Amino acid sequence: MLQAAGLPVGQIPELWNCTQPETVAAVHRKYVEAGSRVLYANTFGVNRFKTAGCGRSVRELVEGGVRCARMAADGGDVKVALDIGPLGQLLEPLGTLGFEEAYDAFREILVSGERAGADLVIIETMSDLYEVKAAVLAAKENTALPVWVTMTFEASGRTFLGATVPAMGLTLSGLGVDAMGFNCSLGPEKLLPLIEELSHWTDRPLILKPNAGLPDPATGAYSMTAEDFARKLAPARELGVSIFGGCCGTTPAFIRALSAALNAAPAPRTAADRHGVCSASCTARFNGVRVIGERINPTGKKRFQQALREADIDYIVARGIEQQDAGAEILDVNVGLPGIDEPAMMRRVVKALQAAVDLPLQIDSSDPAAIEAGLRAVNGKAIVNSVNGKPEVLAAVLPLCKKYGAAVVGLCLDENGIPQDWQGRCRIAERILEAALSCGIPREDVLIDCLTLTVSAQQEQAAQTLRAVRCVTEELGLHTVLGVSNISFGLPAREQITVSFLTQALHAGLDLPIVNPNQTAVMDAVAAYRVLSGQDRDAEAYIRRFASAPAQERATAAAGAKMSIGEAIMRGLRQETKGLTGQALEQMSEMDVVDRLLIPALDAVGDSYERQEIFLPQLINAANAACEGFELVKERIAQRGGSSVSKGKIVLATVHGDIHDIGKNIVRVVLENYGYTVIDLGRDVPAEKIVEAAVRENVRLVGLSALMTTTVASMAQTIAAIRKSGHDCRIMVGGAVLTPDYAAQIGADYYARDAKQSADIAKQVLG
Amino acid sequence: MEARLTGISRRETLKYLGYSGGPLPEEVLEQLSAGEREILRRAVPRAIWRLFDRGPAGELVGTDFTPAGEDIREFLKDCDQVILMAATLGMEVEQLLRRTQARDMALAVILDAAASAAIENVCDNLCADLAETFAPRYLTERFSPGYGDLPISQQAELFRLLDIARRIGISLSESGLMVPQKSVTALIGVSDRPQIRRSRGCEACAMFADCAYRKGGTSCGKT
Repeated sequence: MLQAAGLPVGQIPELWNCTQPETVAAVHRKYVEAGSRVLYANTFGVNRFKTAGCGRSVRELVEGGVRCARMAADGGDVKVALDIGPLGQLLEPLGTLGFEEAYDAFREILVSGERAGADLVIIETMSDLYEVKAAVLAAKENTALPVWVTMTFEASGRTFLGATVPAMGLTLSGLGVDAMGFNCSLGPEKLLPLIEELSHWTDRPLILKPNAGLPDPATGAYSMTAEDFARKLAPARELGVSIFGGCCGTTPAFIRALSAALNAAPAPRTAADRHGVCSASCTARFNGVRVIGERINPTGKKRFQQALREADIDYIVARGIEQQDAGAEILDVNVGLPGIDEPAMMRRVVKALQAAVDLPLQIDSSDPAAIEAGLRAVNGKAIVNSVNGKPEVLAAVLPLCKKYGAAVVGLCLDENGIPQDWQGRCRIAERILEAALSCGIPREDVLIDCLTLTVSAQQEQAAQTLRAVRCVTEELGLHTVLGVSNISFGLPAREQITVSFLTQALHAGLDLPIVNPNQTAVMDAVAAYRVLSGQDRDAEAYIRRFASAPAQERATAAAGAKMSIGEAIMRGLRQETKGLTGQALEQMSEMDVVDRLLIPALDAVGDSYERQEIFLPQLINAANAACEGFELVKERIAQRGGSSVSKGKIVLATVHGDIHDIGKNIVRVVLENYGYTVIDLGRDVPAEKIVEAAVRENVRLVGLSALMTTTVASMAQTIAAIRKSGHDCRIMVGGAVLTPDYAAQIGADYYARDAKQSADIAKQVLG
Repeated sequence: MEARLTGISRRETLKYLGYSGGPLPEEVLEQLSAGEREILRRAVPRAIWRLFDRGPAGELVGTDFTPAGEDIREFLKDCDQVILMAATLGMEVEQLLRRTQARDMALAVILDAAASAAIENVCDNLCADLAETFAPRYLTERFSPGYGDLPISQQAELFRLLDIARRIGISLSESGLMVPQKSVTALIGVSDRPQIRRSRGCEACAMFADCAYRKGGTSCGKT
């Protein structure tokens, strides 16, 4: 419409809010005349990234935009919405924009919009649920305006970033948005099945604002007629949709046709009938047994404690990946350890896990600050573990669950301890439920933990726990959580007791067992229960699980063959390398195993690579196999209480402006497997951060990677900054566009052609 | 026309990995097959294009965009129309590539190479479809920002004119890099005369970031 009014091609349309407000208002008026009840202010593309350098500030553009809409709206009962589109920068983990930076950019727009007199906020055309969360939190925390959200989906039921319809419904209902739905994306008929799905996951009013079909590829024009559009959209009323509009390719004629076609009231909304928790891409629905993995927890695990103390986030993330592979559907995350900044660590671990696994998370802490840090960083809807019947705990934690829309685990204990009988525990469960309801947390989100006590210490308690699970399930109608493994503590053949108790608890109604999914017998029991309870239709999953069993036997059989560590590493055989390292550790010291077996084997692999006898995947396979050996050495040392074995620290980073870092990651894997400790600062890293890390960690070698000609400049700046700091260290550089000459020219000490050379350089510098 | 991923050439994948002959152990062959399968399974290929008339100064008529540099002017000199295109394997593959780097670096480099071969296949299929659509007229090869002296900064113009971010979900960073990495944008000329094939140059290749040949000072010979 603005283009038809003469907006020059290529100009930012929002500039007219300041320079030609009358023209913008005139366009709005046409929509009012056509029957629009909500005007989207011309602010979709305004944010500090997209409108930087246009000559007007975010505030001026937003205020101008809202004023234009106000001019057209005044005198009628038409509402003005502050329209917020995507920032145009990809958020972490796939992109580099931080969640907090995104929040701040949205806050700037929102504060200006409310000040200028907007009646509500509409966050639209979003494909990243995490970006939506940043915007919604910014709106809720900085304005008093109602918030509507519409996202953009493909016919597959996912956004470009992989968010699903259930995840959208659960997450945004939890965050308290006032209405939600879809815009853009597709034509009307393709959005109907998606809005039907969404109606099951939220009680909120639904919005539908499709495109006028698909554009013609050659010309970009939309071909659907206004009448056709309105006719195809009208059936959405029967699905309970109450807010309608048109996106790309629609004009006032479309709105007119739509107003005429929608004169009847929408069907009443039914309550959401599907519940659960989710990440952006994966939902654990509460309609059957969902396994919560317990392994991200330092309690009683020396290696995990060491990882926390050394901020070895990769080790922690690997425990998440391992559990996802083993069949966990939710991950419990506990990073509490004396001397650790728990809120900061929680934030870091949550973000790192989200980059690596799809599963919804359970934030496990007794520190409200750590709980909030975790909930804020979560992309999706989480569980909080836990509250109990103590009033002060309920008062501190429930409001956080409400604000961030999390489900909450309530432990059946209070200031008087754990009731010894099932009736007492159920009474506490009831109290927790009441407190949660009065805080505005829906019933479905209250999960009760009836508490497992060790059967070797309090034998009569196992029956009480099971009885309490049955009571909470049947009488209160709530879902139950139970940490199962504790039952067998102190007994031999623990697995027998654990599995037997788990089976009985599932039978009593337990649906969210917290277990170690790496224990095959535990997951086998869950698989069997799912068949017997009818959750696993036609035993499909069960048959799949056990049909693939022989493959494992084959792998173990191969391990029996006799070979040297060197051969095992050269061939990239992980299990064999691990086994052989274990044998060697029985006769040699840890350092000897590293220096006399693992490193020489890697050197031989490196030589073969240089002679082009093997190529890159084989080099890395070998490094990974060696890693199994190193990990075993680390475990032995951690068990003795020593600190990790390391041949020296190296800082690695992909420089500012560069976001592709596979090359740097290859170097990292190889260096780590040579026994160096790599402090990986990631990608798009500003010079100051690299200098700061080099100085703080007192490293003698820094490795920098740059991919583009455009970013070699920022590599040169980084090198200059390190030199200027006076910190004494060597700098090696590598990356697609670099050559030895170029490396010397920008002041690097070494040029590394590939990962193998970087290991040679490390050896030269650090020994 | 739909974006189509019809196959991943093993030869291409190996080329991208810097393979220089010799026996491939069974473990690596298994990894290669698994990698190619995984990319075929996870890729959600998408492509868009739009046709513009080319004005006397090389500008695209109806826009404020004129491709910069001598090379593109020479490349399009016989063409009175230009197609802008963009294609991607989708964020699913991007996420797979990133996540696999945390799990298994060897598989990650194989996936990276296989994905490069896959996006080439998608582009080749799109170009074949376009050639059919525009017959009897002739199309040039693809020419992307970053080739020759067509500045990478003009990537932003293509994004704006095709509305790439919104329509197929590619994101452009400030330094001109695309996420998903396995994405291609290009100009294709339309002419009444057959066009000779030209070199595309390494910078245009999806493997540019980590090409073993280029770092060894040679090239894969494909360009």
